[in-house]
Amino acid sequence: MSGLIYLSPEWTIEAAQRLRSQLTPEQMKNLTSSMLTIYHNCPDGQERALYYKIENGTFTDISVRQEPFPEVEFVISGDYDVFAKISRAEIGSRSALMNGKLRLKGNMVKALSLASIVDRFNKILSEIPCEY
Amino acid sequence: MNTDPYFIDFPGRIQAIQEKMAASGLDVYLGSRLRTLSWTTDAFCPWRSFIVIPSDGLPTVFTFVIDAARVADDSWLDTDHVLGFAPMGGQDQITAVSDKIKDHLKGKKGVLGVEAGMSNYLPEGNLTNFEFQAFQAALPDLKLINALDIVDNLSLIKDAGTINRFRKAGEITDAGHVAVFNAIRNGGFKKYTETEIAGIAGMGMRTAGSVWEWSFTGGNEIASGYRTGLMGGACTPPTTRRLQAGEPLMVDLHATFKLGLGDHTHNYLLAPATPRQRWHVRNFVDLVSLVLQTYKAGVSPSSLADEMLDFCEERGFAEYMVPGFEHGIGMLGDEWRIGPNNGPFAYWTNPDHRYEPDEMLICALQYACPEEQIGFRYENAILITKTGCETMSNYALGVEEIE
Repeated sequence: MSGLIYLSPEWTIEAAQRLRSQLTPEQMKNLTSSMLTIYHNCPDGQERALYYKIENGTFTDISVRQEPFPEVEFVISGDYDVFAKISRAEIGSRSALMNGKLRLKGNMVKALSLASIVDRFNKILSEIPCEY
Repeated sequence: MNTDPYFIDFPGRIQAIQEKMAASGLDVYLGSRLRTLSWTTDAFCPWRSFIVIPSDGLPTVFTFVIDAARVADDSWLDTDHVLGFAPMGGQDQITAVSDKIKDHLKGKKGVLGVEAGMSNYLPEGNLTNFEFQAFQAALPDLKLINALDIVDNLSLIKDAGTINRFRKAGEITDAGHVAVFNAIRNGGFKKYTETEIAGIAGMGMRTAGSVWEWSFTGGNEIASGYRTGLMGGACTPPTTRRLQAGEPLMVDLHATFKLGLGDHTHNYLLAPATPRQRWHVRNFVDLVSLVLQTYKAGVSPSSLADEMLDFCEERGFAEYMVPGFEHGIGMLGDEWRIGPNNGPFAYWTNPDHRYEPDEMLICALQYACPEEQIGFRYENAILITKTGCETMSNYALGVEEIE
């Protein structure tokens, strides 16, 4: 597969397909939640967000959004470059949070319990060949 | 109607705060003191914690993330209203708390009540200068004003559930004293150090249901020999000093039951006792009896002190008395000042405060004769009534001689 443009419609379709096929509801702990990753300073200067809606462990919506963003349980925000480095496995997402390069909004205690799940689907997303 | 004797209407407390906020022009109240957290959440918050109280609706607690789930489990608030903070982007305490306050204000300007006073109780929890400035920087559209009197005034008169928690905590200290007595009688005291006596008492109280020897002054304060008579002293964290025949022993126990605090001191003479030691004992016991007979609604700390020190003078032991007979008490974290913050020295007890029915305080006396290496302490939580006071510990007053 040739590289897809990160956060492009094609990349989003591929991401949804991989997440749905590689993560069972059991692996997702039958989670119901919603999350938005907001990318500041995208290459075109825009701000975008990737929206995840998960119901009973199944991804029911994965889409790129622009403002106004939907209400969600968790928001992770940061510069596009930071997310790109995480996707290329150049830095870890935990490290980025601990260093303040990413910002989490939402219930921290619940977020801790979901961290391993998020790691799982971030790993799958990082395996999509793409260009930044 | 709730039949739990320890029931406290915590939503009602929040509503009472919100009514005072409205009257004071506050849009949000940010509590940070341990006493405020206890009084509003019904949970022990040992880590730095905050409670954000909006003008209406439920408050949200923020505490160190490692303890947030436990605080939520103990509190009447659910997990959506007890949140953790941690050193992460967007989750540090300044950002997390500020974001919640902004959510409540929805972009409007407003006034934020904070707790920024002073205390001689170290774990009080007033905002630090750094926190104050950091919140001000994070909330530039808000005016921060000190508003801690709201909680202090509301928490002054104790409700039935609080009083019953204190009654139970007092009963638990009695169990601690029984454990100590059983250990030291018949010469048993010779085997023990002060720290071991503290542990024996702790075991007795834990068995009876105490969750913590709450005092920051060393848990259970045990003193023997010369340490009982330190000049002006009323704080004796236990040491490894071994108990010795012929010496006094002071056993000051602290129990915690549902954030209600037990605080009771009992004293002993470890035989053989001298006539002079017994003279000191009579002075002390008579004075404590008189103090307990004197407390009632309408009395003030200064009026009581004047009356008691006259008695001490008549009996010839005024020089051995620390000239204070009480300190404040409330749910965990509320220790020291009595009454509202309206005295001549900011955040200290107003000596002319007139007690009202259903106020609680710790009746606290320290008798100390350093030159004779002897001293006694009396502490007991008391409930002020119209005609007198009710002691929370009912352990018999006296200074027993232990053979």
